[in-house]
Amino acid sequence: MQLLGYEAFFFYMFAFAALITGVFTVSSRNPVHCALFLISTLVSIAGMFLLLGAEFIAGSQILVYVGGVMVLFLFVVMLVKVREEEVGAFSRQTTLGVIVAGLVAIGILGSVYTAQRSGFFKVKSENALVESKADPYSPAGKISTNTETFGADLYTRGALPFEIASVILLVAIVGAVMLARDRKQEEKYP
Amino acid sequence: MPLLLFSQPFMDSPLIPLIIEWSLKIFFIFGGLMTALAYLTWFERRVLAYIQMRLGPNRVGPAGLLQPLADGIKFIFKEDIVPLDADKFLYTLAPIMSLVPALTCYVLLPFGDKFVMPGLNREIPLHITHVNVGVLAIFALTGMGVYGIVLAGYASNNKYSLMGGLRSSAQMVSYELAMVMSIIGVLLQAGSLDLVEICKHQAGWFGMQWHLFTYPPTGIIGFFIFLIAMVAETNRVPFDLPEAETELVAGFHTEYSSMKFAMFFIAEYANMVTASAMATILFLGGWMGPFVDQFPLLGPVYFTAKVGFFLFLYVWLRGTLPRYRYDQLMNLGWKFLLPLSLVNLVLTATIALFFM
Repeated sequence: MQLLGYEAFFFYMFAFAALITGVFTVSSRNPVHCALFLISTLVSIAGMFLLLGAEFIAGSQILVYVGGVMVLFLFVVMLVKVREEEVGAFSRQTTLGVIVAGLVAIGILGSVYTAQRSGFFKVKSENALVESKADPYSPAGKISTNTETFGADLYTRGALPFEIASVILLVAIVGAVMLARDRKQEEKYP
Repeated sequence: MPLLLFSQPFMDSPLIPLIIEWSLKIFFIFGGLMTALAYLTWFERRVLAYIQMRLGPNRVGPAGLLQPLADGIKFIFKEDIVPLDADKFLYTLAPIMSLVPALTCYVLLPFGDKFVMPGLNREIPLHITHVNVGVLAIFALTGMGVYGIVLAGYASNNKYSLMGGLRSSAQMVSYELAMVMSIIGVLLQAGSLDLVEICKHQAGWFGMQWHLFTYPPTGIIGFFIFLIAMVAETNRVPFDLPEAETELVAGFHTEYSSMKFAMFFIAEYANMVTASAMATILFLGGWMGPFVDQFPLLGPVYFTAKVGFFLFLYVWLRGTLPRYRYDQLMNLGWKFLLPLSLVNLVLTATIALFFM
């Protein structure tokens, strides 16, 4: 898929914004700034969804992550001693980190390369952008033109992953509640 | 590439009148809006004064009508103070973060249907942009606006401000959920996330098609949940805990002065108007009213009247109700509004499935 005109401009703008703010998310000394850079990354990615013509996903990306990062922000302010963290050093396991990051990068590049060699990203026909709507394995293009298509896909083809995700989230909620109970509450509600 | 703008094919293309149309619409809507927001402060002070048996500001100009102008000039000439140990970048960013999303919402709101310009023979839609996920976009933008308040609270390096910011974020997390849940019923009926489509779905039957009245009683329940959540989202009395002048001095904007404070102020009022407009569009039929099909320019009039009702309601609530305590606020949000909105959603879906 070739990017032309304003699409190319905005794609590179959002892509570089996402990468730069992503780097700052992990390298910034102040945890509050980290949370802010994280939300900038997520908004840039929402912009890229918008370029793909997936307005619904872009909107829900912002809507969901704005609330999510807000909670993260609360944790940062309440649990982390912000001003002291600025002085402390990073984790010392940099060698391990570099090795893991390198392996992940090689893996991603390799899979993209092989996929490209086998013609996975080729546009199949003139009408591919429209045809690719209902095909979940199709390459970048129009993910879904409207909310209806997205909803129908989510509840028919994507029903199993959707349900698995909800069960995982439910387990996480129950776990969080169990962890947050103190002794007094456990005696009261065993 | 810049030459393209002045080349012959470009000048002849239909883009030029379109760009002129957009610029004029943006100019008129934002010009009118900023004036309206300034006069909203005057309106609030006058109505509040009458509720409390006072007169309110009536010295500057006839009936105090020039008061907003005087306030604006005063804000510009005040000294802009940055606290000593503040996070300077975030301290400046916070008012921008709260004002920009608040004003961006207005490019999405439809004020009326399209009308035909008499001399030009050109159909002009009465909204700036037409997005097919308008509801989602507006909720995303208003959610972004809360970051301005939280950042202001953090960056001021002041205990009271931090308390205000934290309260605001907790309030947003607990009330946004109920707010979004309460409107899913409306989206279910209209079958669209598009604000224009939602308005058109409520046309006819002398207002009986408004989502407030359809699928009884779910429309009314959803409307009241939305109303409460909307007051909480805009940080107004009785949910004005982030500013709470009696306990937190002024909460998140204690340290702010001059135009930065004015920006928070404008953002708050802009959010009030957005929330009122959303309530109008989702539940009260937007621009719909008698004879709106024959005279499309009546649409903005009806729209403004309905929004004005909600703005009066805001002031009325402020003059009538005391502030909630913090735990009461959380209880109301999580234990009452959220379950009620879920029940309402199931009820709406059941009615839609079996009776329609």
